[in-house]
Amino acid sequence: MPQTLFEKIWDSHVVVEKVDGPSIIYIDRHLVHEVTSPQAFEELRVNKRRVRRPDLTIATMDHNVPTSDRSLPIVDQISEIQIKTLEKNCKDFGIQLFDIKSPYQGIVHVIGPQLGITLPSTTIVCGDSHTSTHGAFGALAFGIGTSEVEHVLATQTIRMEKPKPFEIKVVGKRKNPHAITAKDIILSIIRHIGTSGGTGTVIEYRGEAISDLTMEQRMTICNMSIEAGARAGLVAPDEKTFDYLRGRKFTPKNYDTLVSQWQETLYTDSNASFAKSFTIDVSNIAPQVSWGTNPAMVCDVTESVPFPEEYAKGNEDQKKAAEKALQYMNLKAGTKMTEIEIDRVFIGSCTNSRIEDLIEASKVIKGKNVSSKIRAMVVPGSQMVKKQAEEMSLDKIFKDANFEWRESGCSMCLGMNPDILAPGERCASTSNRNFEGRQGTGGRTHLVSPVMAAAAAIKGHFVDVREMDLN
Amino acid sequence: MKGNAIKYDKDNIDTDVILPGTYLKLHDYDELAKHAMEGIDPDFHSKVKDGDFIVAGKNFGCGSSREHAPIALSHSGIKAVLALSFARIFYRNAVDGAFLLPIEIGEDAYKNISNGDQLEINTEKNTIKNLTKNKEYQMKPFSELIGKIIAAGGLFKYKP
Repeated sequence: MPQTLFEKIWDSHVVVEKVDGPSIIYIDRHLVHEVTSPQAFEELRVNKRRVRRPDLTIATMDHNVPTSDRSLPIVDQISEIQIKTLEKNCKDFGIQLFDIKSPYQGIVHVIGPQLGITLPSTTIVCGDSHTSTHGAFGALAFGIGTSEVEHVLATQTIRMEKPKPFEIKVVGKRKNPHAITAKDIILSIIRHIGTSGGTGTVIEYRGEAISDLTMEQRMTICNMSIEAGARAGLVAPDEKTFDYLRGRKFTPKNYDTLVSQWQETLYTDSNASFAKSFTIDVSNIAPQVSWGTNPAMVCDVTESVPFPEEYAKGNEDQKKAAEKALQYMNLKAGTKMTEIEIDRVFIGSCTNSRIEDLIEASKVIKGKNVSSKIRAMVVPGSQMVKKQAEEMSLDKIFKDANFEWRESGCSMCLGMNPDILAPGERCASTSNRNFEGRQGTGGRTHLVSPVMAAAAAIKGHFVDVREMDLN
Repeated sequence: MKGNAIKYDKDNIDTDVILPGTYLKLHDYDELAKHAMEGIDPDFHSKVKDGDFIVAGKNFGCGSSREHAPIALSHSGIKAVLALSFARIFYRNAVDGAFLLPIEIGEDAYKNISNGDQLEINTEKNTIKNLTKNKEYQMKPFSELIGKIIAAGGLFKYKP
C-alpha cells in the first residue's frame, strides 16, 4: 500500500501497534535541557530506575542561561540551581552534556543538526515544543512534556496515538528570495490554516518552493509547525539534506551506506493519500508581520492593522479575540504596519538564529546604524554559530551598527532569563510566539524574519525590506 | 465530580498565559500554583477554589510543552478543563501526570455555561450537568489510550 513519508518512519519505529489504538514507538534520539527535565530525573531516582539508553540521550542548557559574558557568575540563583541540577543529573545518569562552557553549547534545536545528532528517518523527542524543527531532515521529531521525558529516559519509547498525515504544498518561485524568507512562508501558512489547523497531524511540506530552500530555511518552516498545532512537520530528505549532515561530529561512520538506504525509501509514494491537504503559492507573497497575540494574527507589511470585524469575517469569537489583541498590543486598526514604531529588536531563537539568518540580516545592517531610540540584540543560536559568524566578521558588522552581540541561548524568545522586554515595550522579533507576556510581562511582540527585524532596527519602524538594497 | 466553572470566553489560551516563562525555574508546585493563569487573569489565585473547573474555547494550552502549565492549574485546585478543543502536548501532559481532566465539550455547552455555574461531570456517562441552569450536555469520550491512562492514575501507573 502506498505510504506517506511520515507513515514509513512511524511504521519502522512501532514496537507495538493496535489498529486505531495506542502504539508504543521507539525513540532514536532524546534531547534534554535544563527546564523540562529535573522532575523526570528526580522520579527516576525515587523509583530506582536508570536511563535505558544514555548513549541516545544528549543534553545542553539553553532556556535560562544568561547571554551575557560567560566568565561571570550567574546572578539569578534559581537559574543557577536549575543549571547545576542538569549537570548533576547528567553526571549521575551517564549522559553527555554540552554545558555553559562547552564550544557545542547552544539552543537544543540548533545544535542537534549542527552536530549530526539529527538524522533522516529517525524519531527524535525533547521536552520542548519546537522539537518539530528537526523534521527538516526527514526525521519524525516532536515535543513532549516532563512525564513523557521520564518515560523516554526509562524506556526509550513513547506511547501515543498515530497522528494523521497533512500535506502542505508550497508552490511557486519567490520573486526576491533575500527579502521573502522561509519565515514569511511559514507565517503565511499559519495565517491561512490557523493556530489549530494542524492539530492531530504531522505536516509534510512539499513542492518546488520547499525544494528550493536551504536546510536552515527548512528548519525555520518545520520549527513553527507547532504554532499551527501540528505534532510535527517534516520535509523529505534530498541531496541538500545529505550534504548538510556529512562529516559532522556525530555523523555515523557508515553515513554513505545510510544515505543510499534513505534515497531508496525516504519519500512519500506517488499515490499515497493524506488526511488533509493545503496549497500555498509563494510567488507573490510579501514580507509578513504579526500584529496580534497569536502566530496566525499576521498581515503583509504593506497592509494596515486590520479592523476586527474585517479580520473576523463574521465570526463573533474571532472579532472579540482581535479586539483584545489590539488592546494588548496598543494598536489602532487602520494604522499602516510601516508606521508602527518599535523599541527593541531581537534576532535569535530556535526559529532564526542560524548562520544564514545572521548573514542575511548583516547585509541589511552593513554600514548603517541602529535607530538611536532602539535597543537591538543578536543572539547566535549556538557557540558554533557564534564562532562561524565571528570568523566571517559578522559580529563586527552588527557591533558597528550598535547591535549587542551576545552569547548563545534561547534569550528573549521566552522571558525566562535576563533578556526580557519591559512592560509596554514593542519588539520586532525573529522568534516564534507573540503570545501575551511571552517576552516579558506586558511586552509586545511582532514576529518577523531576520531581514525584516534588521531593517526595522535601522529605520525605527517596520519597513518593506524589498525596498532596501540586499546585495 | 462537582465544582464551579471559571469561564474564559476565549480561544487559544496559551501556555505562556497559563504559566508565564519566568516561573519555569520554580520547582515547588504550590509556588507555581500562585502564578497560574497570571498572564490572563491576575486574580485567578485569589478566586480559585479546590474542585473548580476552567471552561474555555478552542485550542486550550497551545504553545510550549511545559508540564508546569497543568501542574500550576492542578495545584490551584482545578480538577478539569472543559474546552472546545485542546493543543495536543497540553492534553497529554494533563493526563500523563494525572494533573487534571482535559474534557472536550461542544458549542452548546461552551455557550451555555456561565462563570460561576455549578457543574457535575460524569466521565462514565460522558455527561456534564449544569446544576445552576438545570441543563445537561455531552462531553467527547476519551480515546482508548487516554481513558486507560486516566483510569490508572497517570502514565507510569498504566500497565497495558
